[in-house]
Amino acid sequence: MSWLSRLNPRGPGTRTGRHAAPSSPCTADPETCLMVFENHWRQVSGVLKPRESSVGGYADDLTAVRNHTDQMLCLLAEESPAGGDIESPAMGPILEMVVAENILDELVQWHLRRGLDPDSQLELLKLFEMLIGQSHQPLLLHSAVLQPLLSLLGACVDPQLGCPAALESSLVLLLNQVCVCMAKETAVLELIFRCGPVQQGPTNLLIFSLLVPFIHRDGSLGQQARDALLLVMATSASSHAVARHIAENSYFCPVLATGLSGLYSSLPRKIEVRGDDWHTLRREDWMGVSSLVLFMNSLEFCNAVVQVAHPLVRCQLLDYLHNGFLVPVMGPALHKSSVDEMIASTAYLDLFLRSITETSLLKTFLRFILLHRHDNDTILDTLLTRISSNSRLCMVSLSLFKTLLSLNCEDLMLQLVLRYLLPCTHVMLSQRRAVRETDLYGKSADKFLSLIPECCRITAAPSSERDDEPAFWGKVLGSPTSESPVHPRPNTPSRLALFIRQQSSGGQANPPSSGSENAPSSPRGSISSPLSPDSPMHQLQDASEGETGYLEYLRDARKGIELCSWACRDWSAPYDGENPSPNSALPPPPPPMSNPSLSMVQEHFSIMDPAQQRAAVVAAARAEWSSSDRDSGEWDVTISKNCISLTPRSKKRSLLPSSIPLQSSSAPVSTEITGAVETVSQHSHSAPHPPLYNGMGQVELTDSVDERMEVKKVKRDSDVNNSVVESGMNGSMGMCPVDYNDFHVGSAMKSSQVQVMPHLQHQTSVPSSTHECLQSESQRLSPVPALTETSTVPHESRGLESVERLIEELLERAPSEPLSGDSKYQGISIEAFHQELRELEERVRERRVLSRSSEESSREFHTAPAPSLTDEDCLPVETEQRFSETKPDSSAPGVFSPARPLGQPLAQPYTGPFITVLFNKLESMMQNSLYVNILLTGVVFQLACYPQPLLRSFLLNANMVFQPSVKSLIQVLGSVKNRIEAFAAAHEDFPAMLRKARRFLVARGKLDWSDSPMGVPNLRRSDSLIKSRKPSLGDLILRHTNSPTRARHAAQLALAHVRDGGQSLHSALFRGGAASGASGLEKQAEALRVKNAVYCAVIFSEFLKELAALAQEHAVALPFPPSQGTEE
Amino acid sequence: MNTFWSMSTNAGRKRSDGEEQGGPGEQRSSPTHPPFGKKQLPSIPKNAVPITKAASPASSTESANGTHASYGPFYLEYSLLAEFTLVIKQRLPGIYVQPSYRSTLMWFGVIFIRHGLYQDGVFKFTVYIPDNFPDGDCPRVIFDTPVFHPLVDSVSGELDVRRAFTKWRRNHNHIWQVLMYARTIFYKINTMDPLNPEAVVLYDKDFQLFKSKVVDSVKLCNSHLFDQPKIDDPFAISFSPWNPAVHEEAKDKMFAYKRLHSDPLLTTPHNQRWPEDYNKGPLVSGLSWVKPGSTQPFSKEDIPLQT
Repeated sequence: MSWLSRLNPRGPGTRTGRHAAPSSPCTADPETCLMVFENHWRQVSGVLKPRESSVGGYADDLTAVRNHTDQMLCLLAEESPAGGDIESPAMGPILEMVVAENILDELVQWHLRRGLDPDSQLELLKLFEMLIGQSHQPLLLHSAVLQPLLSLLGACVDPQLGCPAALESSLVLLLNQVCVCMAKETAVLELIFRCGPVQQGPTNLLIFSLLVPFIHRDGSLGQQARDALLLVMATSASSHAVARHIAENSYFCPVLATGLSGLYSSLPRKIEVRGDDWHTLRREDWMGVSSLVLFMNSLEFCNAVVQVAHPLVRCQLLDYLHNGFLVPVMGPALHKSSVDEMIASTAYLDLFLRSITETSLLKTFLRFILLHRHDNDTILDTLLTRISSNSRLCMVSLSLFKTLLSLNCEDLMLQLVLRYLLPCTHVMLSQRRAVRETDLYGKSADKFLSLIPECCRITAAPSSERDDEPAFWGKVLGSPTSESPVHPRPNTPSRLALFIRQQSSGGQANPPSSGSENAPSSPRGSISSPLSPDSPMHQLQDASEGETGYLEYLRDARKGIELCSWACRDWSAPYDGENPSPNSALPPPPPPMSNPSLSMVQEHFSIMDPAQQRAAVVAAARAEWSSSDRDSGEWDVTISKNCISLTPRSKKRSLLPSSIPLQSSSAPVSTEITGAVETVSQHSHSAPHPPLYNGMGQVELTDSVDERMEVKKVKRDSDVNNSVVESGMNGSMGMCPVDYNDFHVGSAMKSSQVQVMPHLQHQTSVPSSTHECLQSESQRLSPVPALTETSTVPHESRGLESVERLIEELLERAPSEPLSGDSKYQGISIEAFHQELRELEERVRERRVLSRSSEESSREFHTAPAPSLTDEDCLPVETEQRFSETKPDSSAPGVFSPARPLGQPLAQPYTGPFITVLFNKLESMMQNSLYVNILLTGVVFQLACYPQPLLRSFLLNANMVFQPSVKSLIQVLGSVKNRIEAFAAAHEDFPAMLRKARRFLVARGKLDWSDSPMGVPNLRRSDSLIKSRKPSLGDLILRHTNSPTRARHAAQLALAHVRDGGQSLHSALFRGGAASGASGLEKQAEALRVKNAVYCAVIFSEFLKELAALAQEHAVALPFPPSQGTEE
Repeated sequence: MNTFWSMSTNAGRKRSDGEEQGGPGEQRSSPTHPPFGKKQLPSIPKNAVPITKAASPASSTESANGTHASYGPFYLEYSLLAEFTLVIKQRLPGIYVQPSYRSTLMWFGVIFIRHGLYQDGVFKFTVYIPDNFPDGDCPRVIFDTPVFHPLVDSVSGELDVRRAFTKWRRNHNHIWQVLMYARTIFYKINTMDPLNPEAVVLYDKDFQLFKSKVVDSVKLCNSHLFDQPKIDDPFAISFSPWNPAVHEEAKDKMFAYKRLHSDPLLTTPHNQRWPEDYNKGPLVSGLSWVKPGSTQPFSKEDIPLQT
C-alpha cells in the first residue's frame, strides 16, 4: 500500500512536468505580458459590461470571451512571482491586477449569469485546472481566485443529478489539482474551509464533498479522486476543525465504508479454481477479476485514510467499517449456506487481512472476528469449525488461520488457544512448574523423531528402480518436465519446497547442478530467503538425507521462533503458567454445546453409524437453513454515480426464487432435482440402485446444505451401479454418509467406509470424465432453469481439476487427428464428447477388470481396513468414552451431535476448539489430501513457533504429563504413526510408492520455485483462476483445443501417458495398491486411499522433523526485550 | 568433505551473525566488556560434530540404528547451546563465557573478582565439556594461568570442580552452576582436600604469606592479560589495551542503553536485535490490545483522541 509514496512525487512533479511544454511562448518580459493581458481584459470587459442587462448573449460574444480568457489565463499561469523572498513571494503584476479587479470572478459570474452550457463549463474547468496546475504562484491563497473557482465548482454540481458525466473527468482532475495545491499550501485548506459556509450551502467543504462520490470509481478517475481525498485527509490531519467537519458534516466515512459493502456484494460468489491445491487468493488470482480489483482498491484506500487521517476521521471510519461493512455484510457472507459461498467469503477475508497494513484497521477486523456474534457464535468459532470440513473449505479456512496466526496478535491467541490453557487444568498439578521448563537435552525432539514410522526411514532405492521409473509423477501431476498449459502451477505454498531438500535422498543420484539452484531455504513464503551460496546445502549433495533436511528445518524453526517472539515482545503477559495467574484467569468457555455449523459433524463421522451420521447432517443442514433464513441482516447497497444507497434487504426479497434460487424454500428444489435424477436414470444404461440409497439421497436433498452435491451423487449412483460414490470431489463436503452396499460389513468396517470417502477427492480421470459428462447431460436435460443453475455451479469448481484430466483423455483418444480449423470452438459438440468418454470409460474398466483377479483385489481390500481398526484400538480412552456418551444423544434423528459430549462437566479440561479441530484433522492425516496435510502441518508449525511457555509446553514438551482426558500432540501423532505403519505393512510395494511420492514432491517443490512471477507462462496468468462468469464444460475443453500448439502439447503429453502403460493416471501411479473390490471404480477408490496414505506418510515424516527442530530451537531461544514504546 | 562442509557452515553462520549484530569484529575487540545477551551469542560451530563424534554425519545414517543416530550430533550441540542460553539468562556477575569456534565442547571464559582476597583479579579460563554431555562427567575448568588457590592445581591450573559435582546429573546440574562455583571459590575459601596443599598450609598457618602469595598471583594473572589467547581460536577471549577508536563507541552505547533500560539482560539495544528476516516484507508486530493483568481481548483502553 504505497499510497503516500505514490502521492509524493505527484505534488511538485506534476507541476514541473506540465509547465515544461507550454512555457515556450512566455519568455517575454513581465511588462509585455502585463500589457498583453491588459489588452485582452479590456476587450473582454467590453463584452462583459455593456450587455449585462441583455438576456443571454450572442454566440460570437461567447467565442470572443473564450478566446481572450484562454490567453489571459495562460499569461497568468506562466507569470512568475515578482521577487520577494521565497517564504512570501510578491505577486506578479498580472496576478496583482487579477486580484485588484477581481477579474476571474467577473468572468465566472458572467458565464453563470448567461447560463452555463456544458461546453463552456467544460472549457472553464479545463482552464482552471491548467491555471492551478501550472501556475508558478500560489494562486489559491487569493480569494479572487478561490472564490470564482468555488462558484464554478458549485455550478458544476446539480444537487439532484450530480455531476454531468461529460464533466466528470475534468472536474476530478481539477479537484485533484486543487488538492495537490492544498497539500503544498496548508493555508489553502483553511481558506477553502472558511469561505465555505457563505457560498456553498449544506456542505461547506465543497471540494471534499465533490470528490466523495468518486471514491469507489474504477480506473484512473477513481484513482485521481482517491489520491485527492487522501491529500485532503493528510492535510487535515492536524486541523481539528476540518477533521470535525469531515466527520460530522460530510458523508465521507459512511460512503467509504458502505461503499465497500456495495463493492463486496458484487464480488463473485464463488471462486472458480483449477487445481485441487488452490486455497488462497494470490495477487495474480485477483488481478484479473475487476470487481475484486475495485474492492481491493477501495480497501487499500481505507487503509491509507486510516493511516493519514485525523484521529477523529479515523475513528469514525473504523466505526463505519465495523458497523457498516463487517457486521452487516461480511458477517452474513461468512455464514452463507452454500459451501461455495463460504469458500469465497473465507478466501476474501483472508485476502483482506493479508492486505491491511494499518494496525487500527487490523484491530477493527480482528475485533469483528473475535467478538462479533453472528447467530450466537463468534465469527472465530464459525471459522474454526470449518477446518474440519472435508473439502476446499477446509483448505481455505486453514489458510485463513495461517494468516491470523501470522499476525502474532495477543488478543487472537488468547481467544483461540491461550485462554483454554491459562487455568493450567490440562496439566497434572505436580507438573505445573514444568510448564516453563525448556527441553535442554532434546528429549522432546527425540520423541518426535522417534515417531517417524520405520517404513518411512529412507533407504537407498534398489538400483533397478532408479531407471525404470520415469518421471511419472511429474508428468501426471505437474512437475517441471510436464510444464504445459494443462497443468496449473502448484498453489500450495512453498511448504512443498521442503522437499526440494530431499532431492539427494532416496539414493537418487542427482546432477550436481540441481543443488546449486537458488532455492529459497525457507519453505514459508513470506519469510523465505534465498539459500546463501555457502549454505551446507550446496556442499552436502551426497550427505545423508536426515541431516540435510534437518539442518534446514532447524534454520526454519529458528527463524520462525525468532520472528514470532520478536513480534510477541509487547504482549501484556508471558503466559508462562504464572502470569497471568491460573487462578485469576476467567474460566474459558466450555466446549460448545451445539454448533450450527455442519462441519463439526465430520469429527464424529468416523464413529457414528450411518443413521446417526445422516441425522447429524440433516440436523446441521437444518441449522444452516434456518441461519440462512436469518440472513436478513444483509443490506442492499447500490452505488450510483453520486449516491450510495443502503437498503436493508428484506427477508421477502431474499426469498424470491428468481433472485436467489438457492435460498428458496427447499421443497421445490427437491422436486426439481428428483426430476433430474429420473431423467438421468432413464438415460443411463443400468440403474438398479438400492432404493435406500436413493431415498436417502432425496431426503438429503431437501435438507442438505449443499444439495448440489447430492444431485451429483444421486446421478452418479444411478449411472454406475457399483455404488462407489463420487461425492468427494474437492469442493464437496464429502461427509455425507455413503452406503457402500458391499462395504457394509458391520460396525468394525465403519471407519473404512469413512476412509474411503476422502480418497475419492482425487478422482481418476475416467470416472470423472463420466461424471463431467453426466453433469453436462443433466444440464442439457434438465428443464428447470433453477436447477440448471444450481447444478452447474458445483460441477464447475469440483470438476475443474478433473477437467484437465478429461482434456488429456480426450486428446489421448485422438492425438493423431489434426485439429483442423473447423473443429474449433463451435465445431465440437459436447454430445460427441460424451459418447467418446463413455466408450473410453467402458474400455478402461474392462481392461482393469481383466488385468486383476477380483479375488486378489477383494482380499486386499479386506486387509486394508486393518489400520483403522488398530487406530480405534489405540485411541485414547477418553475418546472412546466420548463415543459411548455421544451415541444415545445423536441417535435421535434430527438431533445434532455437538463436537463434545453434552453431558461433559465443565470442570473437564478443555484445550479449546482450535486445538481440538487441529488435532482431529491431524488424526485423520491418512485420509486428508496432500494439500490439506501441507496446510495443516503448516498451521501447526506456526502455532508451535509461539514462545509462550503455556503453548510451547502443551504442543512440544514430550515430558509433560497431561490430565488423562487431554490429548497431546504426541499422542495424536503416535496414532497416525501406527496407522501409517499398519498401512505400510499391508502394502508390500509401500517403499516404492513412498519413493515416488517423495520424488514427486521434490519435483513439485522445484516447480514452485522456478515458477517465479516472471516465469509464469502468460496463459496461466491472464487465465485468471477466478471468473465471475462460469464457462461451460465445453468452453473449458475448447479453450485448450482452441490453440493448436497447446492442443498438440497436451496431446503429446497424453500420448506419453498411453505409452507409459495406458492406464488411468492415478491407478497407474500406485499399480500395486490400486485394487479393491470387484469393480474398477472401487479400485480407484482404493487407489485414492493409497495415494493419500502414501503422501501422508511423506508429509508426516517431514512434519515430525519440523516439530523436533522447533522443540530444539525453543530451548535455545532468548526472549526479545519489549519495545517499550521507543519505536514508532 | 566433512571438513569442507563444516568450515563453510561456520562461514555462513558467522556472516549471518555479523549482519544480525552489526559487526562482530567490534565485539571481539572490546575486551573489557565481553558479551551481553544474545547479541553476542556466537554461533556454535558445526564442526563440533565431526570433531567430537567418531561417526561423521554421512556415515551415521548408514549405521544400523537407523535415522536416529544421525540426529545425535544435533542433540549434543543443542544441549550445549541450551546450556549457554541458560548461562546468559542467569546473568552471573563478573563471569563471561564464549563457546569456541572450533568446538562446542570448549568454552572460553573470564572471571572478574570484585572484592575479597582476590580483588581485581581477572582470571581467564577454559571450560572443557565431556563429549557425552550431559551423561558424562562434570565439565572441567582450567585457568590459563594457575591461580594460587587451594582448589586450583598449581601446575595445570585445573579447578577442582568434582568436589561440587560429584556426579553430574542431567536436568539438575548445569554449566552455569559450574561457572558460579568457579566464582564462589574466590570469595569463600575451602581448604578441604586441596589440590594445592601448599596454599592450604599457608592459609592455615601463615595467612599473611598466603595473602601476599594471592596478591602476587593476581598480579601475575593480570600481567598476562594482554597475552595472545592460549588456544588459537577466533572466538577465544582476547584483551587489548584501551583504544578509544575501537572501544569508546561500544562503551557509550552500552552505558547509554543501560541507563535507559535497567534490565542488564536486555542491554542489547533492541534495534540491533531484529529477527533474522526482519527486513523481508511487512512484519506486523507487537499486536496486543490486552490490558496487562486482564485476559480479555481488546481490554486495553484506546489511546484518547488528541483534541
